[in-house]
Amino acid sequence: MANEKVDVVIVGGGASGILLAAKLGQAGKKVVILEVGPPLALDDLVSSQIWSRRLKWGGVPVVSEGKNPVAHNFQSGWGLGGAAMHQFANWPRFHPEDFRVRTQYGRGLDWPVSYADLRPYYDRIQKEVGLSGDHVAEVWRPAGDPYPMPPIRWFKQAELLAEGFRKIGMRTAPMPLAINSVPYNGRPACINDGWCEAGCPTGALVNPQVTYLPVAKKAGVEIRTDAYATRVLVNAKGDRASGVEYYDKARERQEQHADVVVLSAFSASNPRILLNSANDRHPKGLANSSGLVGHNVMAHITFSAFAMFEENTENHMGTSGAFGMSQDGYVKDSHPGFGSYTWTVGVAMKPNDVLGFANSRPQLFGNALHDFMKRASRGLARIGVQAEELPSPENRVVLSERKDAYGFPLARVMHGLDENSMQLFNHIRAEGDRIVKATRAKETWTNPSPGLAHFLGGTVMGKSPKDSVADSYGRTHDVGNLFITGGGLFPTIAGVHPTFTLHALTLRTADYMAKNWGGIAV
Amino acid sequence: MNSVNRRMVLKGAALGALAYTVGGAEVLLSPREARAQGLALKVLTADERAALEALGETLLPGARDAGLAHYVDQQLSVDPSEALLIARAVGVMPPYANFYRAGLAALDAASQKLHGAKFAALAHERRNDLVEELRQKNPEGWSAPPPSPFFYFVLRADAVDVFYGTVEGFERLGIPYMPHIIPVKRW
Repeated sequence: MANEKVDVVIVGGGASGILLAAKLGQAGKKVVILEVGPPLALDDLVSSQIWSRRLKWGGVPVVSEGKNPVAHNFQSGWGLGGAAMHQFANWPRFHPEDFRVRTQYGRGLDWPVSYADLRPYYDRIQKEVGLSGDHVAEVWRPAGDPYPMPPIRWFKQAELLAEGFRKIGMRTAPMPLAINSVPYNGRPACINDGWCEAGCPTGALVNPQVTYLPVAKKAGVEIRTDAYATRVLVNAKGDRASGVEYYDKARERQEQHADVVVLSAFSASNPRILLNSANDRHPKGLANSSGLVGHNVMAHITFSAFAMFEENTENHMGTSGAFGMSQDGYVKDSHPGFGSYTWTVGVAMKPNDVLGFANSRPQLFGNALHDFMKRASRGLARIGVQAEELPSPENRVVLSERKDAYGFPLARVMHGLDENSMQLFNHIRAEGDRIVKATRAKETWTNPSPGLAHFLGGTVMGKSPKDSVADSYGRTHDVGNLFITGGGLFPTIAGVHPTFTLHALTLRTADYMAKNWGGIAV
Repeated sequence: MNSVNRRMVLKGAALGALAYTVGGAEVLLSPREARAQGLALKVLTADERAALEALGETLLPGARDAGLAHYVDQQLSVDPSEALLIARAVGVMPPYANFYRAGLAALDAASQKLHGAKFAALAHERRNDLVEELRQKNPEGWSAPPPSPFFYFVLRADAVDVFYGTVEGFERLGIPYMPHIIPVKRW
């Protein structure tokens, strides 16, 4: 069934899709969002780690393989608002050198934008949605406007851990958080109960339901949930996108035609849709003349170190985002293993779930686990890391032999950490061990092997059609009215969390599209 | 499931309960209540339930009475996109029943091979010894997949969910639950 043609159809109702829709709607464009998951509302955000899994991917399976498989389902979202509904809201900026890794260090890839290009958009986003932090204490921070709110309150855990950093000569500062420390723009201050991952229904944490979704709705953006996009449609000549094919809740095939098509789905889904959109003109997949659609997927290397204190660490208080940070290891070539990393200093914890008390000591079971849970609920503290993995064409999304109910191949993600990443991990692990041992805790331990967080790349941006899929605005090199937004565009991933940069990049795209509409939608 | 039904189930979350069928009618019960009322399982067999409860009780004493088997079974009966199991978050391929069935069968197979009896029939110490082994590597007789360390990780997390991931569980640890959306009935 064909629907009335619109100006823009956006696949994916997550942070970037909703932000873009809001801005284009405000610019007078008729916009439709196709979101694969269910509708969500703030009163769906039940305070429970068990129920938080409703916010994790629940669509067609993604086959995750390789030496170090990415945790796709844990990272991605399910329902209106996407992964940002369960984000922890750590929002540091990328550093200037993160945008020119190839030029400066001869490794990885360059971005087609500089920090100076993105800085105004970082500043605008932080003002629009609200960020809490301390730009003075955050000595590593690149140039930018001061945070509009003071930092989130530190509880005892953060102070005890910061002492360990201090004792080995490392600096800490408040983590910039997309969480209100004071009332901001009509949204309340955080009450520090640690339910961020289950979704924040109060509006204190920046999620699309309280930021750009209301703007989009007010601007007349139409949102269709339970809409499973399968292919980008093209014109007879094959050189322009004409719309999107999707299946609705009743499993009926639909077509939504538009002047401009935007893929704003997760980093595994956008390549899958492009590869499944192969046609005579684009036999390797749409927008894939470079052969790079699906390649260069990346994840942050993660690590945790723990300390059990005699003191009450108040670890049930705070946010899922960290109290503090340290970027003393951010200079990419200053340590074994190339790449930047950011320490996170203390987080609120719950008893259960992937990051709960119990999984900090996975070898314990039986009554020993009960004993540990009692001690952990009073004295446990955690530091963590987000470390940079460099892009590799070998880490990629391809089409699986397995198919969905409509006959379309599933996404198959292959990922492994290379020797450099393991060197970096080993350096971080040793440093983390020193930090927690320098605290006053009597018992400390570290994770023995790396974890992975976030899922980025796969449709990377660049200056040349030969070595990238899209330009700096996410406009695909091959199809002038087909855009991509979100973390899939990142050519490198820096040593920080991606969500702030994802927002800044999308806002830049929205500006570009609104200002150059005539040249895009012809 | 349409959005109206989905909302009803989500409302059940606020009650700290899941939907079970009693006498042909759907009622909201906690897994502990469902077990105490002797409700039949919908998906798992009697043998699978016995193995699951024995493993859960070994991983975390008290998990059996907290309704581990009823929690898992109820979750296996719903569409994977509605599931609350940690299996969903850590990338187990749906349908999740395949994962549990294969893992529990492998557990019993290994137990038979090593001790000549199913896991539920083993003495406490032997259960502990086998779990200590399987958490590190596939024991002899384990018919993978899933690999036993991953199965251990998921089942242990399920046990922690039903025992500690609830209002009652937080109370056991002496930490405040502090919900935004208030559970009006305890698990």
